[in-house]
Amino acid sequence: MPFEYMKAMAELWGRGGQDFAAAQQNFFANMAKAVGQESPSGVPRAGVFDPQSLTQANQAFAKLWSSAIEISQTISRNMQAGESQNPVVAQLLGKIFDPRAWFSGTDGMDQALQQMAEGPRLADVWDTERKMLTLFNAWTALRRRSLEHNTVMLEAWLQAAGKFAKDLNEKADRKEALGSWREVLALWVDTANSTLLETQRSETYLKSQREILKASTDLRLAQQEMAAFYSEMFGYPTREELDDVHRAMTELRREVRKLQRASRDVQKKEMPSAKAPRARKGRV
Amino acid sequence: MTNGAPIHIKPEQAISEAAALGEKIARGVALFSKLHDDDVAIATTPKDEVWRQDKVSLYHYRPLADKKVATPVLIVYGLIGRYTMADLQEDRSLVRNLLNLGIDLYVVDWGNPSRADRWLTLDDYIDGYLADCVEAIRERHGIDKVSLLGICEGGVFTTCYAALHPQTVKSMVLTITPIDFHGDTVENRLGHGFINLWTRSLTPEDVDRLIEAYGNLPGEFMGSVFSQMTPMRTLLKYNLDLLEVVDDDKKFLNFLRMEKWIADRPHHPGEAAKQWLKDLYQDNKLINGTFTINGQTVNLCNITMPVLNVFAKDDHIIPPATSQALGAHVGTKDYSELALPGGHVGVFVGGKSQALLGSGIVKWLEERS
Repeated sequence: MPFEYMKAMAELWGRGGQDFAAAQQNFFANMAKAVGQESPSGVPRAGVFDPQSLTQANQAFAKLWSSAIEISQTISRNMQAGESQNPVVAQLLGKIFDPRAWFSGTDGMDQALQQMAEGPRLADVWDTERKMLTLFNAWTALRRRSLEHNTVMLEAWLQAAGKFAKDLNEKADRKEALGSWREVLALWVDTANSTLLETQRSETYLKSQREILKASTDLRLAQQEMAAFYSEMFGYPTREELDDVHRAMTELRREVRKLQRASRDVQKKEMPSAKAPRARKGRV
Repeated sequence: MTNGAPIHIKPEQAISEAAALGEKIARGVALFSKLHDDDVAIATTPKDEVWRQDKVSLYHYRPLADKKVATPVLIVYGLIGRYTMADLQEDRSLVRNLLNLGIDLYVVDWGNPSRADRWLTLDDYIDGYLADCVEAIRERHGIDKVSLLGICEGGVFTTCYAALHPQTVKSMVLTITPIDFHGDTVENRLGHGFINLWTRSLTPEDVDRLIEAYGNLPGEFMGSVFSQMTPMRTLLKYNLDLLEVVDDDKKFLNFLRMEKWIADRPHHPGEAAKQWLKDLYQDNKLINGTFTINGQTVNLCNITMPVLNVFAKDDHIIPPATSQALGAHVGTKDYSELALPGGHVGVFVGGKSQALLGSGIVKWLEERS
């Protein structure tokens, strides 16, 4: 499959194929290495900072990225060839064909999770080395999982780009060249959509999403542990204590509701004619 | 003509297209600068709060026509999203359509759950708040039964309530409601049922830890899951889609109102979210007859009142088969289905569907009044 879309792109642009192959080979080799080194939970153990897996994920992503961005720019340039250069259109096309959009648009969960996980900034915690290292490792794990997921998305983008090129080549062979950038966009949207939807159903995609979710949850819990440490130190209530209070409140409300119902049922039994309309406003 | 090149854009045509685009953007900027909050107000149909408990409110809509169906109807939305979708704007409002056709209408608003509401369960919502809303309506009107109109997750609430308290329900209308949470595998259409697939890819422990970390199912989290279901639409929404409507006042305001509804996504209380994701999406307990509320098993065969099950033929969030599964399990012979064109939200706001939905529901209710 990768060979087919590499071939299609090579035919269209006359370059790029070998870069993809090399980048993908490196990517899979590095992923295999990284997976072999991870701890059972996927998060490096506290006190054993291992930046290697993050570096490998980063390198794999960077190699694939350079190929993808080159194709993206070439597509946009070719659609704006000749005298038709217009900054507004160029910007629009650049955005639509930019593989980064596949991270921000389809990987919204990753972004939402990271934003939520990174909410509290804990800049003054460097004296609590052990907790801090756990926190840092959880952050590293999330970055790594995020890179791995973006690499999956980039792979999908390259596949879509290859299919797009193949379709264009076939149209050209049939003397059916596209004469408007809107037509070209429509073809790209159609191709990209089906590739993305197929990708989302794949085991690889679902696994990488799940790993991001787990990593972001681990980071959030590590942050909460730090926050609880300082809360206790300065006499503020911890998250756990607040949760206990809220739990007690919810249980009390249930009891009140139960008692109100019991009282209502008694009233109804005492006044069987209580079916007549009457104003009732609960606790407004 | 093509010189073997796959793309042959004529310079003069490209310049003309770019100029038209520039004009559209200019008109859009001008329109934006004139907009006020009131221009994009949603859920404006007049209503009065008649009951409240904790963060939950029960509203009664003021009538817009003479009553044609005696039994009042209670609209029950879920905790994902908000009921305002049923009253998006004056000419795209299920609420107004029902009121104009003579329905006495109530709606329950679950409010804005926060981390403090983490411990609320589906038991609290179904057998607590919803049961009390029904009781409040029964008392206000001096009646034994009310009719329920459940939407999406709210449809699951009404289904469970109707199975547990059938003696208080005159009739039940469900819209875009999942009953068989594994029903996405029936048709297995590309791009349909992603939430079902995604939830099953998680382990129960993943869900527990997510709730432990955040205390609830964050609204923005569910929003991003929904965005993933229509990936290219999401990518193009704020550039190409917006440009298509930016020079048309009506379409542009419609676009903004919909965006306003999408952005208003409350958090889902944590314990209730665990039940929703694990018991229903993962374990499919409702259709299996093992789902319990306050220790009572929800038996769908206890649903003996008339049921109208409305689904969208192109619903990618709740695939039709997940809704239609109900028919084989209810204990009533008066079970009908209404299949409408369009997708999950389109049923309520789409031109054809929203008109068919209102009139279809009222006709069905009148026949059983």
